[in-house]
Amino acid sequence: LCRGGLAERLCRLQNRERSAISFWRHQCISDDKPPSDKSGVLIVKILELFEECTIQVAICQQLEQSPATLSPEDAVINAKEPILKVLFTRETAAHLKSRPQDVIHIYPPWQKLLLQNADVPVIMNTYFSQKVLLSEHSEAREKTYDLTKVLIRKNIISLAQTFRLDDLDDKLPQASSDNQVPCAPQTHNADSKQHPSALSTVNDSLLEMVESQGAVGWREVQVRVVIQRVYCLPAREGYRSHAQGNKPLCATPVANSDPPNVRLCLLVQDAYGMFSEVQLRSLSSTDGIEQYCRRWEGKSCCLAGMKILQRTTRGRALGLFSLIDSLWPPVVPVKVPGQSQDSEMMTTNLPPPSFCYILTVQSGEIHVEVDEEEQISNLYQPPAVHGLKEILRIDGCNERCSFWAQVLYRRLQSKHNVPIDQRETLLFVTDSTLQNVAHGIPKVVAVSVTASCVLSAEIIEALGAGSQLVFFKDALWGNGRIICVERTVLLLQKPLLCSAAGADLSELTGPVRLDELDSTTQASSVCALRGTVVGVNESTAFSWPTCNRCGNGKLELCPQDRELLYCNHCSEVVTTPVLKMQLEVFLSCPSRSQSTVKVKVWLEITVALFVLLTMLLFLQTYEVQSVLGKEVGLLNCYVHSVTSHPNCVALEEIVLL
Amino acid sequence: STLPAVAEELLREIKKAFQETSQVSDDLLLGLKFIFGPCAVPALDLVDQRSVTRVRAPSGRTLYQVLGSSGKLYTCYSSCHFCTCPAFGFSVLQKSESLLCKHILAVYLSQAMGACQELAVSEEQLTNILLAEEEDEG
Repeated sequence: LCRGGLAERLCRLQNRERSAISFWRHQCISDDKPPSDKSGVLIVKILELFEECTIQVAICQQLEQSPATLSPEDAVINAKEPILKVLFTRETAAHLKSRPQDVIHIYPPWQKLLLQNADVPVIMNTYFSQKVLLSEHSEAREKTYDLTKVLIRKNIISLAQTFRLDDLDDKLPQASSDNQVPCAPQTHNADSKQHPSALSTVNDSLLEMVESQGAVGWREVQVRVVIQRVYCLPAREGYRSHAQGNKPLCATPVANSDPPNVRLCLLVQDAYGMFSEVQLRSLSSTDGIEQYCRRWEGKSCCLAGMKILQRTTRGRALGLFSLIDSLWPPVVPVKVPGQSQDSEMMTTNLPPPSFCYILTVQSGEIHVEVDEEEQISNLYQPPAVHGLKEILRIDGCNERCSFWAQVLYRRLQSKHNVPIDQRETLLFVTDSTLQNVAHGIPKVVAVSVTASCVLSAEIIEALGAGSQLVFFKDALWGNGRIICVERTVLLLQKPLLCSAAGADLSELTGPVRLDELDSTTQASSVCALRGTVVGVNESTAFSWPTCNRCGNGKLELCPQDRELLYCNHCSEVVTTPVLKMQLEVFLSCPSRSQSTVKVKVWLEITVALFVLLTMLLFLQTYEVQSVLGKEVGLLNCYVHSVTSHPNCVALEEIVLL
Repeated sequence: STLPAVAEELLREIKKAFQETSQVSDDLLLGLKFIFGPCAVPALDLVDQRSVTRVRAPSGRTLYQVLGSSGKLYTCYSSCHFCTCPAFGFSVLQKSESLLCKHILAVYLSQAMGACQELAVSEEQLTNILLAEEEDEG
């Protein structure tokens, strides 16, 4: 239960009430007479009984005084006595075993509720109730009643009967977005320290701001925090505060037809070391993310009038907390809550956070003021940049890491049942720490970019254009893989501040080299291939023309001129088709065992190609004899699959960016 | 029937008290316990955790989604008392022992205290949420 929350309060009240009830009941049993204190006691005579859900409703007549003091003749229903509806819980009803005509004493504390459209008041919280017996005869009658069961009518409540909480004369001003957040209360409060009009004192505790939400003047309170990270979250992620492993708040993903929607988010930290994720406005295009990172990270800002979206915990938001962990412990001592702010009280020795509030701005207004002119805060922890070699050696799971790398090749995941905007991309990257090592570690590493990692249009364009040097900020390392998930940011420009270990890692000396194909080569990797053609599988070889504009592999013959090819995607004649060929070639590769390796090569004719294909194109056919013995290599290839029985590696020749 | 009118009035009082004082009195909390029984504390906990979201489509159709304590998401209708949780099926529909389940009560309390999150979705998305309840979400 939330500390200080309503549920905790009710629990306490309920426990107190329960002990009071059992104490009272015990007292009733031990005394023969009912408790003598008559003040506040309600005396009722039951006229009618029925049940709704587990509540017993008794239509009663309120009596002026206990009928025990009246003679039996006087105890006649007087029509002028007021009628009440008294509610009893199932437990109280079982204790009372009431019947019509019974007289019940209801001791305080009970509650009276007046309904809007009804004249009859309702009495609740009737735990302290006792049946009063009128005479000795009743006692005997009571005993016999116990043996017979009385059938009490049960009303079934319609599900259509919903509750209306709004009034016509409701004083709450309706916000245009139908948000029911109450307006700033007008009542005076002795505890209020702020003037309702002016933006007032700046607080430095996120927790205080969150816990005072709803109290007088909370909207004017400003909290000063440091922006540790700026990133984008996909729109549905904006309402989903949980990372991997949890269900999204929306049962289905955002429809593909909607424009990609991302929200700019900040991870902020207050003077007590507490973190919060603040979700700001949507960005229509994410071009600005680089400049937001540069302008805002490390700066202080003031938050005001935030709305709490969620209070999330470590177990529910693994991604968020892996980022928070990378920023823990704080680099400067933080304040300790509850202590006077002596410098001796500040500490860095705190356990890592176990919960985090996700905040968002109230609709329409931006309540975040970033002090861009100011200096970088002491509390800011820039991303720690490492070489890829070091990262591959990290011992641990779900560690956030940052690095510079040259992107060599990009491959989109080709699963067709996954919508395009949710497909993973594989980026093959390297840096000088990997390239300059003789052996033992791979020369090129695959970085998986999931759909939840938001890429700016700038980055996507750059990656398509050519080999790029990219800064990966807060990628995730785990299980031997580097992945880019939500909260990872890919940047083209160097951030102003980062702590780099060792020399400038960005320069590559010399041409990029890939690992050669060998017995350790795995699927979905890239490698260099060298070998001698020892055979061609004629039965599987074929070639086909493709459109040079769109890559459509299903060209048709032009109806007007049967010599020409036509592409119906582009609706135009294809004058210079690109010939794609599939050849299964058997190579003997010195680097991969002594046995022959079958290499399937899918090739696209490009300008720079080796002798084998130039010859084939010219001849429009091939002759096995002329191909055998030809040396092939060094080719850069993407490994589609590796199987051991038969010993076969399927490769596709690729062109590095 | 009496109980719905009583429950409604109690929730209105809570809303009024919250608007005027930003607090809910002990009496009102105990009243909640009296009327709603074992639902009351869990419902308040859901409100404390801000687990209720009002989902709205452009046509004006709304529904509520409540993130339960187990991490599972339940859907509550706006126009009648209905919730996709098993407790609703058992206590309300089958046994008629309760007026509501804790999720529906949390929806009302969140409305009364301004603690609802808001989510705007397309018509299609709203439909999918409603229809998705038919499948086994695992």
